[in-house]
Amino acid sequence: MTNWPKFGKPQFSNAHQITLRKRKQALRLFALLVMLLYTVFTLFPFYTLFVRSFVSTKDAAELHLWIPKADEVRLEQEVGNLSVFYNLDLTDMKKALGIPTTDFLMSRTTLREIAEEYNIPEEDIEEYFADFYTFNGWLTLLKGPEFWNALLRTLVITALSLVGIITLSIFTGYGLAGLKRKDQMFIYNIYLLQMVIPSMLILLPQYLLIQWIMRLIPGYDTQGPARWVLQLIGLVLINIKGTALSTMIFTSAIGAIPKDLEDSAMIDGTTHWQYLRHILLPLLKVPIVSLVVIQLPLIYNQFLEPYVYLDPGNTTLLPFIQSTVGQFSTNFQVIYAAIFASVVPLVLIYFMFRRFFVEGALAGAVKG
Amino acid sequence: MKKCKRLSKCQKRLVLTQYGFILPQLILFVGLTIVPFFVAIPILFTDMSRFNDPQINPVGFRNFTALFTDPSVQRDYLPALQRTVVFVVLNYSTVYIFGLSLALLMYEVGFRGGFFTIVYLPLMVSGLAVGYMAVMLFAKATGTANLLLLQLGLIRKAFDIYSPQGTAFILPLLVGWRYAGYNMAIFLSGLLSISEETIEAAVVDGANYLQRLWRIYFPQMIPSFIIATTMCLIGSFAVFDELVAMGALYVNPEAKLLSILFFTYGFQVERLALGMTLAVETFLPLVVLGIALQRLQRHLQY
Repeated sequence: MTNWPKFGKPQFSNAHQITLRKRKQALRLFALLVMLLYTVFTLFPFYTLFVRSFVSTKDAAELHLWIPKADEVRLEQEVGNLSVFYNLDLTDMKKALGIPTTDFLMSRTTLREIAEEYNIPEEDIEEYFADFYTFNGWLTLLKGPEFWNALLRTLVITALSLVGIITLSIFTGYGLAGLKRKDQMFIYNIYLLQMVIPSMLILLPQYLLIQWIMRLIPGYDTQGPARWVLQLIGLVLINIKGTALSTMIFTSAIGAIPKDLEDSAMIDGTTHWQYLRHILLPLLKVPIVSLVVIQLPLIYNQFLEPYVYLDPGNTTLLPFIQSTVGQFSTNFQVIYAAIFASVVPLVLIYFMFRRFFVEGALAGAVKG
Repeated sequence: MKKCKRLSKCQKRLVLTQYGFILPQLILFVGLTIVPFFVAIPILFTDMSRFNDPQINPVGFRNFTALFTDPSVQRDYLPALQRTVVFVVLNYSTVYIFGLSLALLMYEVGFRGGFFTIVYLPLMVSGLAVGYMAVMLFAKATGTANLLLLQLGLIRKAFDIYSPQGTAFILPLLVGWRYAGYNMAIFLSGLLSISEETIEAAVVDGANYLQRLWRIYFPQMIPSFIIATTMCLIGSFAVFDELVAMGALYVNPEAKLLSILFFTYGFQVERLALGMTLAVETFLPLVVLGIALQRLQRHLQY
């Protein structure tokens, strides 16, 4: 650094160089500090969500930066309170404590009264309620099959939608790459409309149209597997209809592959399908990965469309959480557990494949 | 007919095959995005109240003028419009406060994959989760951020997510938090496309940082600005999931933005045709603006 060439670059004095270096160091320190602060800012909500899923509603008004040691459930608690505010499953409790399931418990009955009435040792009740406040949210969420079913439906829809949009977009890209530039731009412009039409604008008419079409199919009007499958197919179709980005990614990637490759393959007698499957597909790994990392969060985190198009018993994870909330609106612990559970799968995938996500983000940003 | 003659039979067949590959997705796209638009047009002139309305009567332009003449519509629409505009403005500023500043920072100290990974992480979170996080952090009595800031002595009074100001400021903060990585990527790719020679020349000529920003960086990043603006505008007007999580459909009127209004008109209060008309009146100017911005961007790129 000290030996500048005699010409070309301007001459700086030694002192000037030192201030420059100092300034650079200060800048680096400042940048590091900002990055650190912003990292804390970014991660804080995730961490809080995790902690709050273990903080019971009665402790929520205090600050908890780690999972608190919750009180034991006192025997003076009334059953009604526990079931209203903490979603205590009375049927399950009766079974576990050996109370006849046909017996009706008044909501003002305390746990101590139950112990006396049914001759249950108080230790048994205490054992049943051990850590009840801490794990209340998770237990309520994971108790029934509904959560797992919703998660399964989400994963199936996400997988089908991703495979579908990749396949169709490769077709589109392959078809467009073979057209003249004028026709190419015409069709690409149609897809560009997707970027400027807000989903809210077409939601109502789109819903109307899909209902009209679905009604024509027998079995849609009665509750049952046929209706549910049709609804899921409808949702997948909405997800794979293609976007400006998917069209652009594959058209430019396929357009960049020399035409000679296709010509020589055709001369050797391959069909379009064989060419797509065996020659083009292996060359398109990079755009496929870009599209997956951009579409995956969008499809997995979809709320509005499944909320509108799927029956409550047939829905995906997020609408399920929303309806759970409506049911348990006083028990925020369940809500935070559910939200945390919905965030975890994608965050894990993100960290496992972070390199691809970062590359995809930058590639997507260039193309808009 | 002349055109056909020039194309050989083989070429014609080839073009047909190409369209065969294009059509499946194009039919889906047009059928689900553009056809609904045209299906909606006749409905705008009726009193259709819900999706399976048995009796539909034509009402002329009443739905279109309702916004200016019907006080019950105005009572719903105007506050929602006001909240939406406030949200759009504040949300648009987070594009720069988070996205642009982080991109500039990253550009000056060199690309850091680790930091990028962290900033991009919130994009994996659903809008619904963002809404619930807002409640979790800023509910008046139980918000963790509230409790923490109070204990640190940084604020005197707790924020309230359910108050008008609370919703107005906290929602853009968290939406900005979610999209920070996305906007940073847009600006960063704009910055990385600037040729280093121009920057070096400016440095040698003695331009300070602000001068470089205004005269070198920003003019060459205009496509990035346009993309970020288009995405933010369209996205902000369509914000929905976050609001649902904040209770907009039932308990929290302060979170009733326009998207929520259209949704309730269609699915809850039996004013379907009116809701569609209001949506068209609100969004059509935006679509036109969006198309204009796209044209401008393409014009600048070639």
